[in-house]
This record gives sequence, structure tokens and C-alpha cells, in this order.
Amino acid sequence: MFYQTSQFRNGLKVEIDGYPYVMIYFQFVKPGKGTAFTRTKLKNMLTGNVLERTYRTGETLQAADVEEQNMSYLYEDGQFYHFMNNETYDQVQIDGSVLGDDAKYLTENLEVDVLFYKSRPVTIALPNFVEDVIEFCEPGVKGNTATGATKPATLACGATVSVPLFINQGERIRVDTRTNEYASRVKS
Amino acid sequence: MTTAQTLRSRAIILHALRKWFWENGYLEVNTPVRVRSPAMEPHLEAVKSQGKYLHTSPEFMMKKILSLGLGRIYQITPCFRNEEIGQHHSLEFTMLEWYRVGAGTEELMTDCTALFGAAAQALNIKRPNFKKVPSHHLLDPTLKPEDWFFKWVDEVEPTLTEPTFVTEYPRWQAALARISGDYADRFEVYYKGIEIGNAFHEELNPSELEARWEKNNEIRHQSGRPPHEIDKSFLRAISKMPRCSGIAIGIDRLVMALTNTSSIAETQIQEG
Repeated sequence: MFYQTSQFRNGLKVEIDGYPYVMIYFQFVKPGKGTAFTRTKLKNMLTGNVLERTYRTGETLQAADVEEQNMSYLYEDGQFYHFMNNETYDQVQIDGSVLGDDAKYLTENLEVDVLFYKSRPVTIALPNFVEDVIEFCEPGVKGNTATGATKPATLACGATVSVPLFINQGERIRVDTRTNEYASRVKS
Repeated sequence: MTTAQTLRSRAIILHALRKWFWENGYLEVNTPVRVRSPAMEPHLEAVKSQGKYLHTSPEFMMKKILSLGLGRIYQITPCFRNEEIGQHHSLEFTMLEWYRVGAGTEELMTDCTALFGAAAQALNIKRPNFKKVPSHHLLDPTLKPEDWFFKWVDEVEPTLTEPTFVTEYPRWQAALARISGDYADRFEVYYKGIEIGNAFHEELNPSELEARWEKNNEIRHQSGRPPHEIDKSFLRAISKMPRCSGIAIGIDRLVMALTNTSSIAETQIQEG
């Protein structure tokens, strides 16, 4: 299957030079006196590298043979991270070096989307938000309501994020995994 | 999201523009939006409207007014270009077009700097300083049109982040502009990395324009698109038009640039 430039969308999964890419940006461009083009940014789904490519109207991109399965994180064995499909109980493993920074948010039973490229598990997509308990941070400062002031906090999963000063150790928070930023406090 | 703040800025900009035009001797005109011949350029598609077309710019009708001897004129009007939708494109947009009689493109650049400066000042922001670069300093003018535009979009345009007048285009991009030596005497305005306007030192020879029009229709024919009807009454008017330069500015894009808005949709109210 091929996608026309008019079908370009963010999230489109395409194959270029033997790699699966996801479209993260597209822009219709038409110089005043010329024909139409589409500028794109494409993220390599395996390496995370971003490619900038311009396409002429009429050019096409091939759909990538990718599939996503919702799976639960089980454990890591030092090199591989193991995930299980909760319906089929199929288990797969992915090399930690591929997961990079995403690995730090993995806690037991966290549901993630595992990406299969040509039927091989290749990487994961974290949920946009994860919740976790703060294992350590400096005590809150009473009455300090300065907006924007933050302090570092270490979560139970091991990740470190900046949190507002009023947040305390032992509290549960929501973190945006796309930006690594504190999102909100979770009432328990 | 379209906000009240952006629309308020848009109103301030429009007021500053009209004030500047009045103070500089330009008269505001109105021309029909529905016309028989919507364009002359090969890559413009018009929207049909009851046996006519919605204009892609008010150029032809404004030139008919110029041939009546009105002197300096300007217009702010909705324009329509089919098949153009994107972050910087909207099928319906607002165009500002003005003509300075007895002037070349240099004087229009002076107008642009003063006009955008007046709009910036009205918004209490820094007045833009434009630099001037010939297009052939940025890209090889001997490239084939298709390759020229690809490289322009792919390599050159992303570098035009400073306010810039790009001048001296390849001859085959003259459209309705005069040809002077090896290049077309026209310029485009880049502001905040977006092409916001296009200016011509106007060609006054009707048979030259008719020949270009026929050539453009040939390009359209080759790609299976209907011709743009040659407007004979417009060509007759051209022969009575005084020497002048004209420029069209996309108001929505100007508002984007002056308000740091990232999409054209945010400068207009949307039906939703």
C-alpha cells in the first residue's frame, strides 16, 4: 500500500530505505509561482533519528509493515526487557539498548504498545502519562508559591523528574513520558 | 485555537494599514469577487461560482481601475485558491494589494518597510528590518522550473528566517512583471520564514502578456487542467495603464508573523 502526499498525516507509518518511520510533522507548501510540495519530518521507529524530507505532489510513500500490540511489562534480565500479551500470554523480549530512556518508566504490569516490524518486536511506545510514587525529594517549602520553581524528585521506578516545590516525598504523581515533565498530583 | 487576543491584534494591524495608506495618498477600492478569468499563472486553481470564478487575487480588476487614472490604489479583500490547505494555506484568505503609480520595485520595498513598521508599532513590537537578496544568489537560475522549486522549498526557503526581500527572479517566473536583463523585475517578501507577499514592476505591453498567458495555458493543457480564459478587456486596459509597481500581501500570514501565531487557521475565525 502506498500513501499519496494528500494522505500524509501525523502518525502515518511508512517504510524508507528498509526502516519503519512514523510521520511526526507535515506541512503543505506552495510557492506563489510554483507547484505544491509537502515538507515532512519522519522519525525512525527503531533508532529515533529524525529525517527531514520534501515530497512533490504525486510522489508516494510505502506503508510500513508494522503492528502494535498492547502488552504488559514483566521484568528485565540485565539485557532484555520482557513483555506479555494479556490475551494470548505470548511473551516477547526487547534489547534494553533499543528502549533507551523509555526503560526508566517501566514498572511491573505497566501496559505499553509493543511495535512489531515485519513480525519482529522492535520497540515500545509508553503511555503518554504514567503514575508513580516519589521515593525521594527534598521537603516542601510552606508558603512558597513562586510559579515555575521546581526541585528534582526520584520516582520508585528510578526516573528523576522536576516537580513543583509543594510536592512531598511519598506522594503519587502523574508524569508526561513525552516530555519527562511533572503533570499533576494523584489523590490516593 | 483562535483567540480574542489574535483577532484584536488583527484589527489593530488592519487599522494601522488603512491609516498608513490614507496618509500616503492611496485610495481604497473594491472590485468584484466573482470574475470570468480568475488568474493567468499556470499553478493557480480557482473556485467555481455560478458560471464564473472566485478571484485568486484582485489584480486584473485593480489594473482596470489603474487604467482609469485613479493614481495610487489599494484593496483588502477575500481571495480564494482551490487545493491550497495547510499550516500556511487556507482556501479562503484575505489579500492586501496595492499599486504605486510611477514607481519601480525599489519604491515598493520602501513602502513595505514603512507599512509593516507602522503595523508593528501599532502592536508595540519591534519594526522589522528587511534585507535584500537576489534569488540567483540563493539558487542556480538555470535549473529547470520543477527542480528550481523543489530546491527552493527543500533547501532555500528554510534559511530565510530574517525579514527578507528576495529580488531578481528567473525570467520564466515573470508572470505579469517586466523583464529587465536576465531577470524578472519582481520581489517576494519573507517574514518569520514565511512568504507573505509578491511584487511586480508591472509589464505594460498587452501582446507580451498575451503571449505569456498562452504559454501558461499550454503548461496547464499538458498537465490535463483547463485553461485560464484570456481576459481581453484586461489586456486592453493594460495598454492604458500608467507605469507602476504592484504588490500583494497575505494579510493572514502578516498577522501570523506579527503575532507569532503558528498557523493561518488561528488568525481567522473557524466554522468548527
